[in-house]
This record gives sequence, C-alpha cells and structure tokens, in this order.
Amino acid sequence: MSGAAQPGQVVMPLAEALGRLARLEQEGRLAEADDLASRMLAAMPEHPHILQMAGIVSHRLGRHEEAIARMEKSAALSPDTPLYPRNMCEIYRGAGRLDEALRAGLRAVELAPGDARSHFNLALIHYERRELDEAVRVAEQAIACDPAFAEAHFEKAEALLLGGRLREGWESYEWRFKLKQAEGMLPKTDKPQWDGTPLDPGRLLIVGDQGFGDCIQFARFIPWACLLAPRPVLACSAELMPLLRQIPGPARLVTRWEDTGEYDAYIPLSGLPRLAEATLETLPPAGYLAAPEALVRLWGERLERLMPKGKKRIALVWAGRPTHKNDKKRTLKLAQFGPLFAREDIVIVTVQKGEQIAQAGGYYGRAPLVNLGPEIADFLDTMAILQNVDRLVSIDTSVIHLAGASNVPASLLLPYAPDWRWLLHREDTPWYPSLRLYRQTRPYQWEDVILRVAADI
Amino acid sequence: MRCCDMDEAQWPGLEAAALLDDKAIEATQLFNDKKHEEAAALALKILDAVPNQRAALRVLFEIRDAEKRRRAADALGARLAGLEGPAALRAQANERFAYYLIGLGRHAEAAPYAAAAVKAMPRAAAAHHIMGMVLTETGALQAGERHYRRALELLAREDGMILANLAWNLKMQGRLTEARKIYDRALALRPDNSRGVGGLAQLLFTQGARGEADAVLDDALARWPQDRLLRMLKVMADLAQGRVEAALERLGPPEAQLPPEILARGRAHMLAGQPQEAITAIATARGVQRERTGQSFRPEELSARLESYQAYFTAERIQPLPRARPGAFMPVFLLGFPRSGTGLLEQLLAQTPGFAPGDEVAPVAKLTTAIPGLAGGAAYPQALDEALIGDGAELPERLREMYEAPRRAMGLARPEVGFITDRAVSNVWHLGLIKLLYPEAPIIHVLRHPYDLLLANIAQDRRLEGDAQAGLPGLARYYDFHARMLRHYRGQLTLRYLPLRYEELVARPEEAVGRVREFIGLDAAIPEGLAGNALPVAAPWPGHFAGRVAVHGGAAWRFRAYEAALPHLFKEVEPILAPWLAELGYDGEQGA
Repeated sequence: MSGAAQPGQVVMPLAEALGRLARLEQEGRLAEADDLASRMLAAMPEHPHILQMAGIVSHRLGRHEEAIARMEKSAALSPDTPLYPRNMCEIYRGAGRLDEALRAGLRAVELAPGDARSHFNLALIHYERRELDEAVRVAEQAIACDPAFAEAHFEKAEALLLGGRLREGWESYEWRFKLKQAEGMLPKTDKPQWDGTPLDPGRLLIVGDQGFGDCIQFARFIPWACLLAPRPVLACSAELMPLLRQIPGPARLVTRWEDTGEYDAYIPLSGLPRLAEATLETLPPAGYLAAPEALVRLWGERLERLMPKGKKRIALVWAGRPTHKNDKKRTLKLAQFGPLFAREDIVIVTVQKGEQIAQAGGYYGRAPLVNLGPEIADFLDTMAILQNVDRLVSIDTSVIHLAGASNVPASLLLPYAPDWRWLLHREDTPWYPSLRLYRQTRPYQWEDVILRVAADI
Repeated sequence: MRCCDMDEAQWPGLEAAALLDDKAIEATQLFNDKKHEEAAALALKILDAVPNQRAALRVLFEIRDAEKRRRAADALGARLAGLEGPAALRAQANERFAYYLIGLGRHAEAAPYAAAAVKAMPRAAAAHHIMGMVLTETGALQAGERHYRRALELLAREDGMILANLAWNLKMQGRLTEARKIYDRALALRPDNSRGVGGLAQLLFTQGARGEADAVLDDALARWPQDRLLRMLKVMADLAQGRVEAALERLGPPEAQLPPEILARGRAHMLAGQPQEAITAIATARGVQRERTGQSFRPEELSARLESYQAYFTAERIQPLPRARPGAFMPVFLLGFPRSGTGLLEQLLAQTPGFAPGDEVAPVAKLTTAIPGLAGGAAYPQALDEALIGDGAELPERLREMYEAPRRAMGLARPEVGFITDRAVSNVWHLGLIKLLYPEAPIIHVLRHPYDLLLANIAQDRRLEGDAQAGLPGLARYYDFHARMLRHYRGQLTLRYLPLRYEELVARPEEAVGRVREFIGLDAAIPEGLAGNALPVAAPWPGHFAGRVAVHGGAAWRFRAYEAALPHLFKEVEPILAPWLAELGYDGEQGA
C-alpha cells in the first residue's frame, strides 16, 4: 500500500495486501479479514477492488447493507469490471432484492458473455423470480461455456422439475453427485449405478443419499426397485433407520459402507424416480410410514396431561437446519407466527428440534404452547406426536415429509420460489395428499402466508 | 483491627492463656463497671499477648457489639465460638455469637453456631431455643418447631418466651388455631413480651380477625407507646385497610423515622396516589440504607448462577436424567418476580376445590443444598449427573420425598387436596430440578408490567437476592436475571407452562382462575363470590392471607401515573427492560 509509513506500522504493497485479504476471506478468518479490509479502506477509500473485497467480507459477516453499499460503490467506480456485477447478483439475491439482482446478473453476462459463472448466477435469479424457461435457457448458456459445470446442470434440473417437466428434469438431476457438497454421499466403488434392469436377489445397494426429507420422500420407490432387484441392501443414516425399516422389501439396512457386503450395482434413493419413469400422475401413494401404535398411545397420554383440553392441537416447526443451502429462504422466527398465537381455541405443540427451540423461551402468545422438542428423541417420536395433533404447520423441512408420508394433515409454508418438489401454482401436492401448500406471494414476505394459514385452521 | 487476621496455629495453648486470667478478670470487672474504654484497652493488651484469652475476647466482643463495630465484633465472636475448652463454655460462646447474629437478622450465618451450641450441650434448653429461632427464620419450620418443643421439655416448665416463639413458628406453618392457644399461654406467663403481642396481632390478621388484631395492637401501643415495631405493625394494618391518613399520622415526622418507617410512608403515599411524595420518601429511605449499611445491588453471584445453570440445564443434558414417579399430590408452581401477584393467585385458587396454599415453605431451592451430600459431594447442579450412575437413579425420588415431607407434616397434603401451590420466588432458578422431580407439574407464571414490579418492590421493606431492592437499576437487572433464566428453561425443557397476566387477574379474576383450572385439567367452574377473596379456606393458612382483600385493580398500571408525574423515573432502567417489555407484549397500547 502506498503512503508514508507511520512509526511502528508495516507497509505492504497493495497487491500483496489484496492477496492477503482474499486469502483470509477464503480461509474463513473473517475477523482478521474485516480488520485488514477496514485498514485498507481507511487508506484507500475509493479503490474499487478493496471496496469489492471489503463488501464480500461484510456480507459473510452478516452486515448485508454495508456489503451492498461497498459493492455498489465499487461497481460505480469501475463499471466495466464483470466480476463486480457477478458478485453483486449473488449479494442482492441473498438480500431478497431480486430486481437489482437481475439487473446485476444481466450486466455481468453482458460484460463477460463467455463466463459460465455469470450465466449460472443469472440462472439462479431467474429461478428465484420463478422465470423458469429463462432459468433453463441461461443455465444452458452456462453449460455451453463450460459443459462440465455441475452446478449449472443441477440448476437446470431444478428449474425443469419445478416446472413439472420431470422426465427431462431427472436427466439433469443426475449431475447432483458431481456437486461439491455431494462428496461422500455415494460409496467409493467400481460397480455401476443401477440402470433398472433385473438383478439377482441381494445384489443391489440402495443408498439413502441427500437430506432426511428427500429420503423419506423417495422411500416410496423402494418397493418398485425390489420388484426388479429383490431383497436389496439399504444404506442410510442411523436417524432414518427406524423409518426406512418400515418399507417392505430390503433384506438389510446398514449405516456404514463396510457393512454393505457385495453388490452388483448401486442406486441412490433419489435416482429411483428417474428409473421408475415417475410422472406426477404415477407417483406411488403416501401413507407408507406409520408410528408404532404403542408410541402413539404413550405420546397421546402425555399430551393429554400436558395440554389444556378442548383446544385444537397445532404442531409447529418454524426453522430448518441452518447449514441447508436454502435455509434463509425457508426458516422463520417463532415470533413471526403472531396471527396463529392470537387464537385462543388452539394449543401450539412445537416439534422443532435443534438450537432454534430456544426461541420457545420467549413465547407469550394467547395460545398455550408446549415445547416438545427437548423430549423428542427421534423421527418415530415426532411421527407419534403428529398422530396426536389436529394439524402440523411447518416450513419445508423433514417433519413435513414425515407428516405427508404418514397422511397427517399439514400446512406447508413455502418460499416464493420453492424447492422443485412443491411445483408451482397449486395448493396441493401429488406427493402427499394430506398437505396443503401456502406459498409466498412476494419473495421473503411471510406475513400474508401466516395470516392465511391461521385463518384456515 | 490488629488481631483479626492472625494465624490460629500461632496461638498459645490454653495453659499459656490461663497465665493472663487475672488480667482478664480485671478487664471483665472494668467492663461490668461500665468503664468500657479502660476495659477495651486492657483486653487488647491481653489479646496482643494471647489472642485466644477467652474472657478478654468476651469483653472486647461485647464492647465492639455495643459500639456497633460489626467487623470487629464478627471476628471476635467467631473466634470466641471456635475456642476449645469445656462444653459449657463452648456452648455459651456459640449461643452468644448465634444470638448476636440473630439480632442482626443474619439467621443463616447463625446456624452453624447454634448447632455447635446444641452439640456441646445437648440438654441445654437455651441452645435448643436458639436453634429453633434460627431454623424458624430460615424457613425450616418443622425442624424449628422440634427444637422449641425440646427446649420446653428440657426446662420441664412453661416458658413465656419459648412458647411465644413456638407460637410464631406454628403461625408461620399456617397452624393458626394451635398457634393462638400457645400465644395465650405465652402471654399469660410473659405479658411484658411486646414481640409476642405483636406476633399475636399478626396471627389474628392472618385469621381475618382484623378488629381483634387492631384492638390488641391499640392496647399494646398504649402500654409501649415508643415501641417502633408495634407501631409499624399498626401502620401496616392501617395501610392494609386503606387508612392512609391514619398511617401517615402514626408514622410521625419523616426526620425521626428509620428506613422501614420511611418506606411505609412511601407506600402510604403510593396508596394515596401521590407519586411525587411516594418516590421522595422511598428514595430517602434507600439513601439512608445505602449510607448506613452500604446496601447496593450485587449482581456477581446471580450472574455466576445464571451462567452455571444455563450451561448445565440444556435439553441434551437433562433429557437422559431419570425422573421421579408421581407423588402423593401435584405441586402447582406459581412463578413470578416478587410482587407479581402470586400471593393473590394462591389466595384465589385456595378458595376453589382441590387446592391447598403451600406459599413459600420448604422451597425446592433448599433441596439444592442437600444434593451434593446425597450425590457424592460434587457441587450443584453438576451433582445431578450422579443420577445417571447406579443407585443415583433414585436421587429424584429421594428429593421429591424431601419436598413432600414438610408439606405432609404441615397438613397441606390431605385426601381432598390434589394440588398444593408453591410460590417460592426462587423457583425460577430451579425449573431444571423441578423438571426431574415433577416432570408434568403445572407452572403458572404470573406476569406483570415490569415498571409496576419495580415500583412495588422498591417500596417494600423486603430484602431481595443481591440486595436488588436497593434501587430501581438493581431491580431492573434482577428482573433481567429472572427473565433470562426463565427464557432459558422454557427453551430447553418441556414444561407445562401457562403465562397469566396480573392485569387480567385483577380485572377478571373469575375468568383468570377458570383459565388456570382449565389448564390444569380441572373444571373451570368458580365458586360464587370469588372476587371478594373472603370465601372459607381450610387451614393451614400462609401469612399472606392476612392481607386478603377483595380483588381490585388499584395497583395495575400504576407506573403510568408515575411516568406522568416523574418523566425521568424509568429512564435509567428503560434500556434494560425494553427488550422484555417487547417480548411480553407490554410495549403496545396496553403497555408503557
């Protein structure tokens, strides 16, 4: 950095300082990065790249307004640098400012038409804006720039599936295992992925890949697979064992790769719909999971003791796993359910798990609330509780799949551009007939959604 | 004081100490002759040479006590009590020091000295008497009763003072009829016992015999017109019955008043709807207390406790711990910051079928002191981990039994009683333990506007944890500790929890009590005339029943008048309380 050194200060060349800043940011050493960025900005407040980097650091530290201000200034100072609008497209998307994100995305593509990442970022924005044809088209442009760009293929798949174009969507969906976050989901093997041709009994390995919700949703295809490859081995996480054990067909369930034994082919659970050539009209029906009767009775008795009588019991889940890529879009604060809490004829039964249960400590609504999360040991407990309530109100998380798979009436709160499986423009879902969908009418706006949910109970 | 911090190991043996006995006798004589300066000088000289010379210690202790030089008296009394020697002398020294601490209201500190006196002379009535006082005033009522009765047995005759103390103990247990009879015996023997007469008056108030109580106090004041305690009792009776002018007149000119009296003046103005005068009096009283005793809010212990309990009582850690099986009755925990209205709710519930009022007797907090002993010595709450190992699984069961035993002994647990209310303020700290003892006990949280709580508490002559009563900022921070602890527990535990607003309780008492009953699983039908708060209730009765008056909303939203009259009154506490006002829903039109 230029300028006269003060006593005791170390002077670092600008390029070196920028390199160090980038390194700190990439290594997640955000406090140090923030400190360095602030010092660099103090010395050179009008340097576009410092502003850009400092904006990224602000964004990662959750100071979104500051991030946007820094990056906008950066772009204004250097309007022809394609990286800046490309970055800003993402930052605006994270802030829910989709019009500005679109403008930035288009500008990035205009400045760098050969940059796959710019096209991909723009495709994401089109998805968020529910412009699905555009999302597919722009994702394909990204793929044209870089045919091995897995994320672009996956984005194309999601747009196709959300639009209800399942057959086409499943093909692109196969790219999901090339995503960085998919590492370790499949076994390290030289055996092929199953193509749906018949196999001898016990020679197929089915892998419960992806999240709990996906596994619950696609578990309905296991009996179909068993018709072609009887008695397969099913590998899944320990949490899913008590659920997937209920599905007829598999010979064994295992939780470790070394326990799978020999097999001729493997298939991820999420690959079964493609092989089965599933369409919205041919999905195997829900109702394939059920809580054990004794457990249902036990929770029924407990709930009888814990809750005032004569009120509708509404189970509630308001937050998902914070590490989920779309958690910001789907997760609410408990306090946002005000219209529901104002009703005196209901009792709230929270079946929320994880750190977010702490929010129940600040609840003072009219409707009594029982925070059951601390005493829920596993999915079977949750499912048994759901059998003892009148309705579940939930965001898009694994519990909604439990309700759907066990035919429990539920209200699902969905973001403006939801996960592909919930499709668009409909209040029901062919996957789970007991669910009613409540969609955002504007991105990131939950107020009217919750009003509608509360009014319909 | 020059010898306070001396190393005990350096003290000479008893034989060496005896060499100065003659000098010590001389010092004692000087003291008896009221030549305190000379006596103290001589005692100091002796103690410089022999710091454990018993008689010199005693002389100097008495002189420092008379001079109110507390630190010196504390050190001397403790040293005297710790001396080896004949049992009678040890008992005498420990009794004396325990009595000194009792006189200062430091009952818990007096406990080990009272106990040492009993152990030294198990057949000494005086030692048992003092032990009875300590236990009674620290809430161990049944144990206190046992020691009073033992003292009477050992004396083998009636003793007016012990009987009066026994009567007070029984009154505290809510055994009012028995207490009344014993007061009659006590005061027949010792009609000069003004404290006993005051106790009788309070008993009569609790029984609802207000006219009789007033008459007893009037007679007593005629006999002892300068007795400030009796006068205060009469003032409190006046205030309870709305005789504000009479109370103010009785209190006399403010400049001659002690802090409890100035606080009573403040409460009188509060009742009269005079914010300016009320706050002036209260601020004066708290200022004098600060000046004289150095009382100010001490958050350190509360902060450490909050941190420790938040770290231990998490969903993951509590879930695997064993729970006690259902007991003989179900406690209903009436949770609330002091002055939030749990007393009123207890009074009203006690007038509906199935309830007995357990007040604050034998609180769960007491169990926490026993847990390390029962669970292998680790500190609470970590000691609860022992419940995971072997016979430790019985720990919750044993603790539940310890919780129930005093309630049975008091006659609270009866066949027709399904629910015993427990309104100990300390319960907010111990919901984690309560969860292990009574996993499904109803918890009714009485909410009240925090500013009203601050006003009610600042005006009370009642010591709170950490001396939070010393000022509004301390009270606000104490409230913050309570609220944070409760929020933590509610987030980490499955509780059968119902919030109930004081403002709604006083506005629509039948509806509010009906809601509570319904929540607990009982029929919501309410006896006619409940709002009059004068329906019969089976004994035992807690002391706060003395204040039973018809439900009224006079104290709800009181802070509004204070804000209007004194716009800056709550400015300092606003940043502390604003988040809670918002969370509780007191920040809208209904609120501040």
